[in-house]
Amino acid sequence: MTILNALGPLGVILLVFVGHRLPPDRIRKVNALWVTLVLLSSVIWSYPELLQGHWTLLLLLGTNLIATTSAWDSVWWGREHLNVKIVRYYVWWALFWAALITVAVADNLVLSWLAIEFSTLASGALIVEMGNRRALEAAWKYIVIASVGLFMAVIGVLFLYASLRFQHLGWYTLDYANIRSHASAINPIVKEIATILIVSGIGTKVGLVPFHTWLPDAHSEAPSPASGLLSGVLLGLCLVTVERYVGAAPVSHSTLVSGPHLLLVLGSLSVLVGTFALLAQKDVKRLLAYSSIEQMGITAIGFGINTPFTREAALLQLAFHAVIKSSLFYVGGHLSVAYGSTHLQRMTNMVGQHRRLAIVWTVGILALAGVPPLGLAYSEWMISLGLWQAHLWGVLVIVTGSLVLGFAALSYHLIRGMWGNQANRLKNEDVEQASMANALIAAGGKH
Amino acid sequence: MMSAALVVFVASVGLLVVRNVKSSILLLGTEGLALSYMVWMSGPITLDKVAIVLATLAIKAGIIPGVMYRLVQKWPIEYRQDGPLPAWTYVAGVALLLTVTHVIQLLTATGIILHRALFFYGLASIYLGLLQIISRRHVLSQVGALVAAENAFVILAASLVGNLPMFMEIGMLVDLLVAAIILVWMSRLVHGRFNTTDVNALRFLRR
Repeated sequence: MTILNALGPLGVILLVFVGHRLPPDRIRKVNALWVTLVLLSSVIWSYPELLQGHWTLLLLLGTNLIATTSAWDSVWWGREHLNVKIVRYYVWWALFWAALITVAVADNLVLSWLAIEFSTLASGALIVEMGNRRALEAAWKYIVIASVGLFMAVIGVLFLYASLRFQHLGWYTLDYANIRSHASAINPIVKEIATILIVSGIGTKVGLVPFHTWLPDAHSEAPSPASGLLSGVLLGLCLVTVERYVGAAPVSHSTLVSGPHLLLVLGSLSVLVGTFALLAQKDVKRLLAYSSIEQMGITAIGFGINTPFTREAALLQLAFHAVIKSSLFYVGGHLSVAYGSTHLQRMTNMVGQHRRLAIVWTVGILALAGVPPLGLAYSEWMISLGLWQAHLWGVLVIVTGSLVLGFAALSYHLIRGMWGNQANRLKNEDVEQASMANALIAAGGKH
Repeated sequence: MMSAALVVFVASVGLLVVRNVKSSILLLGTEGLALSYMVWMSGPITLDKVAIVLATLAIKAGIIPGVMYRLVQKWPIEYRQDGPLPAWTYVAGVALLLTVTHVIQLLTATGIILHRALFFYGLASIYLGLLQIISRRHVLSQVGALVAAENAFVILAASLVGNLPMFMEIGMLVDLLVAAIILVWMSRLVHGRFNTTDVNALRFLRR
């Protein structure tokens, strides 16, 4: 399985170098076929363990599934963005995929950290490949802010390693299993400091508020197939890494800085900020990015409640979110190209102009808004039930209130996009432009 | 070891204060040399250690300062100078150094610190590096700050655990190398597209 995991991204890099003289469209299709083959092989290979509900394998397969959809969307997206250099795009894409696979299967805290850091660099470079100023600015902020956050996390990792150095296990000291079995040997103060640093440090990569400032910029400026991976997979895997650590080194619940407490607080803040931001968005990809902040907040709360039921709910939430959000980013990217703009105000009358995209967009937005029987409705209900059972009334009010507001905001954007009258808006713009042109001509005449 | 750590600490202060980007790159190179010496002097010589020393020397004293220097050489003189340091930075710097002494007091009771002086140099240099990211506006100053903070991390690690596992050391070095190369590439693009090296100019997304 390890060989297969390594072969996937390596194959993409080799294919793109060997076939760089072929027509770009053919390279993209061959790559997409290769990634699909890797996905199918990993399903066949891990089938017996999958039936036993092995979560790490499910995470790996989820990662490969979204990578496959991203690779196929890259075929379509590549035709729309001929200026993007294909070799460099696929090299960064493959390295990003490799980093995601490593985060998914990592059983060691340092390995997780290294892979998350590498994912920042590879995805940051992918954003730069868009080749415009906005993308460059977004990538700069993303790499600098995420690196500072991850730097905080690695200090926490170091404190943890120092506490367990008496074992003389070297690299294996920070295996999650070893941390779990020797958690009681770690000094409580060190454990608290390490927890704060690791949760907030890796939480920066999850986009938890107040460490989220890079996320809307990076996710909205990235190539759409990469946005799908960033939002659908990377955020979730980083949150799973936080949960793996929090579960391995539990801090006494009597303190307010235990992992679950931090997840509840940061999750609630993320839900609030993400939801309110949904109401004010004017850009289609920023709308999706803020929705990711909200969704990660809900998932963090699910992990923060810290019961087996809500943990399962949070993992379900991650899985549904990965599929829905990545699809929406792909469709959002194509709609932006079709309308020549990312502004939601310009994306109107979808039903009349882009019926197929409109159908996928509608299903995706309704799923994101939590409309039953689509998946997120189920997992969000489970998390709300978990909050009720744990008597966390304040958080329950925040979550349910935000779900209602989020539904309202997404429905508003959906309805306006589906049936909003493009013709009238354009007519008004034409009148404005005509009157401005008349004014300029008049001014020129006077001189 | 202690003298090498002191060199890194002084260089971190220098990196924060110095406005000339070329001088700050030389300070980064000095940090790389001091770290290589420190790793070499820490305990018996093994094959792993030789590999780490060579990698540190090549990456931190050679490649990273080298690519930064090569880039800055191509820029006109007006782009080789950072802006003045805001007054609040000095106050924040002193406050951060006082915080380090408090952290040492807090952690001494836990018994995880092996060398208190090394710990001070390491954590203080990390804080100064992070302060540099916030206060300095030149793109290469920000790249240098990230590298300096990672250099300081090595000292912090030495003060807590002696040596890090080989895989972790090499992994972090490779990560740093890739990060520095990508950020230097992006610095070149920032200069080319925005016609400036000031990160304050990166305001397109706020409009």
